[in-house]
Amino acid sequence: MACMNEDGQWIVLMGLLVAVGMFFLALIINQSVLVGQTTAEGVLEFPKNDIRDLRSAIFDYVDTELPDGVKEDIIAISLERKNAVVNFTVNQKMDVSGRWLHPVTIHYNNGVTVYNETVYY
Amino acid sequence: MVNDAGQLYTMEGVAAGIIMLLTAYIVVSTTSVYTTGDTHIPDMQLEQLGSDVLAMMDTPDTAGGESSLLGLVNGNKGPEFKDAFLNYCNATTSGAIDNLHMSANVTYRDASSNVINEHSFVTPDETWTGRESAVRVTRWVQLDSQPWPPGPVRPYGTRAQAVLVEVLLWRA
Repeated sequence: MACMNEDGQWIVLMGLLVAVGMFFLALIINQSVLVGQTTAEGVLEFPKNDIRDLRSAIFDYVDTELPDGVKEDIIAISLERKNAVVNFTVNQKMDVSGRWLHPVTIHYNNGVTVYNETVYY
Repeated sequence: MVNDAGQLYTMEGVAAGIIMLLTAYIVVSTTSVYTTGDTHIPDMQLEQLGSDVLAMMDTPDTAGGESSLLGLVNGNKGPEFKDAFLNYCNATTSGAIDNLHMSANVTYRDASSNVINEHSFVTPDETWTGRESAVRVTRWVQLDSQPWPPGPVRPYGTRAQAVLVEVLLWRA
């Protein structure tokens, strides 16, 4: 091996480090493609607005003094149009720290998300 | 004169240049979402927009008052509902208005036969082909019993009931 010398080994070593660094940056870019999709899927699948709307419908039902048939409406239409098994009960008013409130239990299950709540309203 | 000394310095300079370009590219591109051609993202935004519009229409102007959504459903005013809904949906902060279209059903339960029926509230316009990436947003509406003798009878029956307003929303 004539004329071969061993100068500049630090430079070669740094070049290797730079190559490894670029490899990791490429991995990060690769992962970032998944972020938008999984986030959007998570938001679409989680029935946040459905549960909020169901709660407000039940509170309206309590506000209007529990008219006949409305509970059956909510349960039947939830199952038929929203694919959600819903049940709720409204019990007699009780004393909660000096205020008279209805204990309301709400159960919601659409096969992906299960939501249970006992709320005093 | 030209000679071939310092070639590794040249290579180092090239590597440094590439690293700087790559860094600038990464910094600039972090401001955008990489996922290309994925319908989940506009679907998510459209669904949230529709839910927000329905929630806004279901909010009374004053405490204890009647919300505009309740009044429109109770009076079976489909065209007015469509105008109000699209007016809110298509509003933009500047420039031309958006190009969203909608149709709506009201689902109600017939208590005597215990059957769930759909009432066509807003029929789809001419842009509807059935192949749109439409999203569905819903809102519960509670109707009081209709006093007797009724004026124009609403299509859902006269008893106090909960009905589900379902809106299909798409961009054309």
